[in-house]
Amino acid sequence: MSKKEDHKVVYVSHPGSGLARSNFPLETHVSGDRIVRSLPFHIPDETRLYEIKTTSRGTYTRPRKEVQMPLAIAHKRRVHSENRVRYPMVREDWSPENPNTEMRGKSGYKRISWDEATDIIVSELKRIHKTYGSMEPVFVQADGHGHSGYMQSLHFWGHYLFDMIHKELDWGWWTQQVRNPDSWEGYYWGAKHVWGFNASLGEPFQDAVWDDVLEHAEVVIFSGCDPEATGLGMSGGIALEMPKWLKKAGIKIIAISPDLNYASAVHADKWIPLKPNTDAALYLAVAHTWIMEDRYDKEYVASHTIGFDAFKAHVMGDDDGIEKNAAWGETMTGVPAHTIKALAREWARKKTTLAVYFGGPKIRGTLSHLAARMEAYVLAMQGIGKPGRQFLRIGAPSFFKKDLAQVPRYPEVDFKGLALNPMIEYAIGHAPMSPSFVPRTLAAEAIQNEQVEWKGTTSALAKTEDQFKSYKFPPSPDHPGIRMVWNENGSQPGSWGNGWKWLEALRNPKIECVVGIHPWLENDLGFSDLILPAQTNYEHNDLIVVQRSDILGMFYQDQAIEPVGESLSDFEIHRMIGRKLGLDDVFPPAEDWLKKAYEGTIAFTKHNINWDEFKERKYFIYDSPTWEEWVDIKKETGFSERGGGMSWFWEKGEGLETPSGKIEFVSSLISEHDPDNTERPPVAKWVSHHESPDQPKARDFPLIVMSNHARYRFHVQGDDIPWIKELQKIQGPDGYMYEACWINPADAKARGVETGDILKIYNDRGIVLVGAFVTERIIAGAISIDHGAKMDLAALRNEPVDRGGSINLISPTPQDKYGDGEIKIPEMNVSGFLAQAEKIDPADIYPGTGGASGAAATSRTAATRGTGSV
Amino acid sequence: MANREFLVDVDKCTGCMLCVVSCKDEHFENSYAPWSAPQPETGQFWVDVKTLERGSLPRVRVSYMPTFCQHCADAPCIPACPDDAIKTRDDGLVWIDPKACTGCGKCEPACPYDVIFFNEEAKIAQKCTGCAHRVDDGLAPRCVEACPHDAILFGDEGAFTGDGLEILKPEHQAEPRVSWRGLPKPWIAGTVIDADQDEVIIGATITVHDIANKTSHQMQTDEYGDFWVMGLAESRSYRVEIAADGYKSVTRDVTTDGDQDLGTVVLSSG
Repeated sequence: MSKKEDHKVVYVSHPGSGLARSNFPLETHVSGDRIVRSLPFHIPDETRLYEIKTTSRGTYTRPRKEVQMPLAIAHKRRVHSENRVRYPMVREDWSPENPNTEMRGKSGYKRISWDEATDIIVSELKRIHKTYGSMEPVFVQADGHGHSGYMQSLHFWGHYLFDMIHKELDWGWWTQQVRNPDSWEGYYWGAKHVWGFNASLGEPFQDAVWDDVLEHAEVVIFSGCDPEATGLGMSGGIALEMPKWLKKAGIKIIAISPDLNYASAVHADKWIPLKPNTDAALYLAVAHTWIMEDRYDKEYVASHTIGFDAFKAHVMGDDDGIEKNAAWGETMTGVPAHTIKALAREWARKKTTLAVYFGGPKIRGTLSHLAARMEAYVLAMQGIGKPGRQFLRIGAPSFFKKDLAQVPRYPEVDFKGLALNPMIEYAIGHAPMSPSFVPRTLAAEAIQNEQVEWKGTTSALAKTEDQFKSYKFPPSPDHPGIRMVWNENGSQPGSWGNGWKWLEALRNPKIECVVGIHPWLENDLGFSDLILPAQTNYEHNDLIVVQRSDILGMFYQDQAIEPVGESLSDFEIHRMIGRKLGLDDVFPPAEDWLKKAYEGTIAFTKHNINWDEFKERKYFIYDSPTWEEWVDIKKETGFSERGGGMSWFWEKGEGLETPSGKIEFVSSLISEHDPDNTERPPVAKWVSHHESPDQPKARDFPLIVMSNHARYRFHVQGDDIPWIKELQKIQGPDGYMYEACWINPADAKARGVETGDILKIYNDRGIVLVGAFVTERIIAGAISIDHGAKMDLAALRNEPVDRGGSINLISPTPQDKYGDGEIKIPEMNVSGFLAQAEKIDPADIYPGTGGASGAAATSRTAATRGTGSV
Repeated sequence: MANREFLVDVDKCTGCMLCVVSCKDEHFENSYAPWSAPQPETGQFWVDVKTLERGSLPRVRVSYMPTFCQHCADAPCIPACPDDAIKTRDDGLVWIDPKACTGCGKCEPACPYDVIFFNEEAKIAQKCTGCAHRVDDGLAPRCVEACPHDAILFGDEGAFTGDGLEILKPEHQAEPRVSWRGLPKPWIAGTVIDADQDEVIIGATITVHDIANKTSHQMQTDEYGDFWVMGLAESRSYRVEIAADGYKSVTRDVTTDGDQDLGTVVLSSG
C-alpha cells in the first residue's frame, strides 16, 4: 500500500464457518468497487487479554494479531469466480408441466427477472399446497455453513420461511432436513451413552480446561486431531496457538491417526499410524495391557463408574474367546504390539490428556460410536478429571461448557455478550421443528425409497434417549413424499455420504421442482430447476458475531462492494418470497433484526453503547478477566484455582447426565431400550462391519479410504479459487488439477503409481478421479482424500466419473449397512470405507460440461512437496 | 539508511501458506510503482513454502521453508541483467524495475535461489520486492504481517543475531540479507526392539561416530524405543552403534545423503 492509496477499511466476516457466527473478521481494504487486499485484524491494546498462570510452567496468552485462513484472504477471487450466479435463472427445459427431471445436471439455464423467478416459486408453492394439501412435499435443505454474518448470508432462512408459511398462512408443515452432528458423530452416537454431555454432543465440557492441562499434563494425545485443517475456519488463530502452548509447557504430543496430518507433522513428538477405523481395537489392547500389568486406577473405576467388569470380561475374551492383547491389537490396527504396550505404559505412568478437534477421520468413520465409547472407557480407567487427565477440545468455541469458557473469560460475556441468532435452532437444535423431517444422512433415501425408518432425530442437541425412538419417512401412509427440493446448501454430495445416490435422487421423476439458492453454480446446485443468486459477505451490511474464538466481540460489517449481478443476500431472497406470499410482518427489514439482536447484549445494556454508536465505531470487543478475577469466578462455580475440565467430576464422583450419574461401561439406557443391538450393545465390544478389510468385498476393494477436512478449503467451499487450487491440487499429465490422494509407497508400487499419476478410486458406489501423491505420511493399506472437492462430472470411457475428485460421492450411507430394515444408528460415515485405486490413462477421460477450470492454475505441488532433499 | 534484513525460522513454520496467499492478495491486480507491476493470478510465488517430507513411516516429520528473494548484497542477478533493471535500494532491498526490464530472462538462471519468475503477459521478470511499498510506509512486508508464528521477521541490519543462524547456499557468496534458523539437517532415526519379547527397548544407547573427524554424539532411546539423532552434517559417513544392557550391540554404517532411517533395529539378548 502507499500513503497515496485511496481505500476504505471494511470488516468482513469469515467466508466459511457460518452458522450465524464468525471468528475475527478480515480488515479488508476496498477501493471503489474493488477489493484491494485483506489484512489480519489486531486486537486493540485497550482490550485486556487473558493470562493463564501456571505455578512452574509460565504464563499463557494469545497474540493480538488475529490471522484468517488462506481461503478468507483468497475469497475475493471467489466473489468474481466464473461459477458465480449473477442473475435468477431457470433450467431451459424445465416447466411445471414438464420438468424433464432426467436432464438435471445436464441442460443449461436461461436468465429471468427476479419478478419472474419469485412468481414461479410462489405459483409452485401454491400448486403444491393445492395438489397435496400441505407444504410437506417441500424438502428444505437449509443448514449449511455458508458465510459467517449474523443473518444476511445465513443458510437457515428456508426453514424460517416455511415455518412462517405454516404459522401465518396455515398451509401445513414442511419437510425439514435435520442436520446430523457431523463433526461429533462418534461422540454423539457412542460416548453419550458412557458419560452424557448432551449439550456438547457427547464430548466432555471444557470449562477452564486449559488451566488444568497447562498446569499438570505431561502427554497430550492428538486422537485423529488436526487443528491445522480447518483450524482457522472454526476457531480462528487461537486453534493454531494452542498447540504451541502445549509445546511451551513441555508437554509431549503423541499423534494417533492413519495419516501424519498437518498439525501432527509439525507438532507431534511421536506418530502412531493405525489403520482407519481401528481406534477401538487400539484402545482395547491398551486396556488389556493395563489390566495385565495392573496399571489403571481401580479406586476411580470403583467409585466413579459402573459396569467395568463386563468390559474387563470382553477385554480378556471371557465373552468371545478372544483376548484383546497387544498382539491382537497389532493384527487389527497395524500398530506393532510393542508400540501398543509402550503407549499403554506411558499413558498410565504420565498424566495424559486426549485431544480432539472438529471431525477428524476417527469420529466420522463407520462405527465411530464404537471408537468414541472405547475412548471414554480408557479415559475412565485412568481417572478422567484428575489433574492433567482431561478430554481436550482444541479451539475455543464457547458452547462446550458447563459454566465457564475454556480460557479465562467473564461468564456474562459468554451468556449475554453476543447476539446469538435464534435461527440456529433450525440447524443445530434440540429437535426438528416440523413433524415431517429427514436426517441429512438419509436425504437420498427419503426420495428414492418408498419408506425409510430409523432411530433418533439426529438433532445435534437431542437427549440421549432420543436415539431409541423410531421415526420414519414418509411419516404417514397418505403422505405424498418429497416433490420439491429447496437447496440452500450445495454441500450434500461433497460433505455427506454416497453423493452419487443423492444426484440420482435429484433426477427422480417425482421431484417436480428443485430450487437452488446460492452464490455459485457448483456441486448439486447444477441440478436445480430454478437458481436464485445469493450474495457473498462482501456485498451487504451485517453484524459479525465473534463467537468462534477465545476473545469474544461483535463487529459491524459494512457493504464492501456493489452486489455482483442482481444477487441479493440469502435473507433478502427469502424476504422477497415471503412478502410475495403476504408475510411482510414476519420479514421486517434486516436493519431491524440487527438492531434488536445487538440491543439484547451487554454491549448495549451494560456498556451503554447504542446501535448507532456501535455502527460508527465498528466493533466492540470484550475484555478478559485478570487471572485473579478468574480464580474468583472459578471458585464461585465450584472449581479450584487450578481445576478445570472434568475436575469437578473427579472430585464429586457423580453428576453426569447418565442415569447413574457416573461413567457407564454398561449403558443403563442401552440395557433398558436396545439391549439386543449387536453393533452397539450395552457394553461396547469390538465388532467388524460392512466396510472392514475382513469383509468379502475387500477382495475387490482392498484399500481403506480415510478423509480429513481439507486444510485450505472449508468443506466444499473455495475449491474454485485458483490460489487455493495451487496449494492443494496435483497436476496430472493432462494439465488438469486433480484432488490429491495420499498413497503409501508400498501401495503405489504395487499399482505402478507415481506422484502426479491420475487414479480412479472406485467401489460399489461409483468412481472418482484423483491425482496420486506418494507419501510416507499415510499407513499402507489406506489412502487419504480430503472431502469437499468441487464436482466436475465427466466420463471415463463410458463410465460416469467425477473428475473433480469429490470423494464423498462414493462414501457409504447408513442404509448400506441396514438394507431395507430400520436404520438403528443413522450415523454419517465419510471416512474409513473400502475402495480400490487404479492408474488410468488421461486419454480415456471425456470432460463433462461442468465448467471446471481445471487447467487454469499451474501446479506447484510436484516441485515442492516431498521431493526436497535436506 | 540502514540496510534491512529478514529472519526465517524453519522451526516455527507450520506450512499454513498464509504468506503465499497474502503475497498474491497484495500483488495480484495491485501495482506499486515504481517497485512492482501486478503479479499474475497464478504461477508466481514471490514467497513459496517449500515442503520437505522427511523420514520413513512411522518416523516422519515435515519441514517447511518459506523461500523468497534473499535480497543479496552481492546479488548475482544484478550483473546478469544487461539493462541494469535490477537495483538495490538504499535499505538493501533488491528490486527489478518493471519499467526498465526488457524480459530477456537472463536473471532467472543467475539466481541461486530460484525466486525470479517470468510474467508471460507483461514480458518482464518479477520477484519479491521485500514489499518496498509497505516498507516505505513504515510497515513490515506482507508475508511478515501474515505469519501467525513469527516464522518470518523483518528488521534493521544487525537485528537478527545469535547462535545457529545460517544463510542459504553460502557457496554462491551472494551475501544474502536473509538469515535462517533451523535449516533442516540430516538425522539418523530408528526404533530399537527386542523381537523375542516383542517389546521396545527403552534407554538403549545410540552412539553416532563421525568417522572422519572422530567426534561422536550419544543419546538414549525414548519410551517407544525411538531415537532421532538430529542436526548431523550433510553427506558425511557415520558409524551408528546401538547398545543396551543384556543385548548384543549392533553397528550400522551410514552416509547422510539426506535423512537416514534405520527402521526397526532388533537387538538379540547376549
